[in-house]
Amino acid sequence: MISQFSGLYFREILRTFRNPFVLIITVVQPFMWLAFFGSSFANAPASFLQSFIGSNNYIAFLLPGTLSTSMLSVGMFGSMSTIQDKRFGFMKRILITPTSKGVIFLSKALGGATRGLVQFPIMILAATVFGVRFHMGALEWAAWIVALFSLAVGFASLFLAITASSTDWQTPGVVSNFITMPLMFASTALFSGAFFPSWMLAISAVNPITFSALLGRAFVLGRAVPWINLGYLGTFAIVMLFVGFLVSSRWLRVD
Amino acid sequence: MNGSAISIRDLSKVYRSKGGSVKALDSVSLEIPAGTVFGLLGPNGAGKTTLIKVLTGISPMTGGEATVAGFDVRTDSLKVRARIGWVAAEVILDDDFSARENLWLQAKLQDLEDWEPRADVLLKYFDLDRRADDKVSGFSTGMRKKLEIALALLHQPAVIFMDEPTIGLDVNTRRMLWEIVTGVHKEFGVTVLLTTHYIEEAEALCDRVAIIDHGHIIAQGTPAELKARVKADIVRLDTDEALDVPRISAIPGVQEVRSEGNEWAIRTASAATLLPALLATIRTDSVRRITVEGPSLETVFLDLTGRRIGQEEPMRDVRKFYANMRRQVGG
Repeated sequence: MISQFSGLYFREILRTFRNPFVLIITVVQPFMWLAFFGSSFANAPASFLQSFIGSNNYIAFLLPGTLSTSMLSVGMFGSMSTIQDKRFGFMKRILITPTSKGVIFLSKALGGATRGLVQFPIMILAATVFGVRFHMGALEWAAWIVALFSLAVGFASLFLAITASSTDWQTPGVVSNFITMPLMFASTALFSGAFFPSWMLAISAVNPITFSALLGRAFVLGRAVPWINLGYLGTFAIVMLFVGFLVSSRWLRVD
Repeated sequence: MNGSAISIRDLSKVYRSKGGSVKALDSVSLEIPAGTVFGLLGPNGAGKTTLIKVLTGISPMTGGEATVAGFDVRTDSLKVRARIGWVAAEVILDDDFSARENLWLQAKLQDLEDWEPRADVLLKYFDLDRRADDKVSGFSTGMRKKLEIALALLHQPAVIFMDEPTIGLDVNTRRMLWEIVTGVHKEFGVTVLLTTHYIEEAEALCDRVAIIDHGHIIAQGTPAELKARVKADIVRLDTDEALDVPRISAIPGVQEVRSEGNEWAIRTASAATLLPALLATIRTDSVRRITVEGPSLETVFLDLTGRRIGQEEPMRDVRKFYANMRRQVGG
């Protein structure tokens, strides 16, 4: 099982790094996010920013949220990779070996999550270029990475579970559109929740993206760290892994 | 391995959907002796690929039982999959990887530790050793097929399933692959279950052949045994005009006269005896070509099903329609 998992896991990683387009977009996208979205409040008065987001630096506020929402795309790419393997017959090649469907799921979910973390150092670099300064210790860095990885694992598992029986190219995109928008905007990833209506606050209060964004923001802005958020994100990852494992073991199919 | 490499009893497979159900395999029973090249011959849609899907554990059987390499397909699927190799109709490799990396991944999937010496032997055997570290996306179709067979052999399987391995290949590549299949069988002593709808492929490669049609095994045996069942020659006539079927049917020895478009197939006990009488009966200036087929797996299939292996039923109707149209317009 370990042999099959490591083979498929490293295949996911290697394929990413061998695709020049994926690499270029992975590097350029964080800069674009911060340049375009981060600069939208560049001329806002400091008092407005302070009252709206609790900080004078919108890019520093935005960075943890952007990193959190980018973990949503991990799920979409993970399920697209699975559907590609089904369509081109590679899934059949895998399944005609002593590799269980559960192992295939785990390698896709964890491989996709690892791939998603590639953006982390690039985003940090991009934020530094845009003037953000980090005053964090090793523990904070490690906790932030673990939180983002947990978020990515959770979303990758969720997407893989939803698309387990599908062979249609369109499915991951449609599912992504359906899930991404509500989760992104019903969170405090991009804006403070201070002006949310009560029903959005209710969604935001259980939204894993909010938990991840608040944790990262506490590290970057030097606020009190809500360590419990790390536990919440870890639980989210484990529950989604469990659900995805069960669903994939039962429903992952190629014919 | 002694005895049967694959044993199948009353195996059935039904695909169910909202629109109804399709019985893809119906009470299939086969014994495939270890160390043989066994051919499953049949037209498209006969159930060949479905049988491979069931035997490799990709698709669950609806009924019956099957063992592969001594293990029950239904209850010991992982053990079966550790002992089989698979060569697909379409080449399935990871194009982002080199030949050696594809072998590495296959070794991982088969949980092999000391795989590299074996991989080197296979790369050399298939003449891929000089391109071992090149990405396979740059390989020719023949090289890709060779690599796929190397992947199937890496873990020294007891049985290799080859699902229409030469479909879509040019003649030269197909011949090369035939040599490889024969060589692999002799060199590595592996049992091969090969599906094909190419008659000549089954005749050239297989020790034993089962003919499958509409999910049923309709005959099986060695190619010689199957051909011995037919005891007939087929005389084919390509003519400009329709034949007088009642007159030709009346010639002694004629068993059947059938139209296939503008071609006529006459089944007879002996072509040598028929031809003088036939040429005396028809207008020879309307004949464009005469060919004689001795007993072959094609005639066996024709004899059993009433149609040729590459000839799907709707297509036959269309050809008949146009043949009749041409005759009416011409005549």
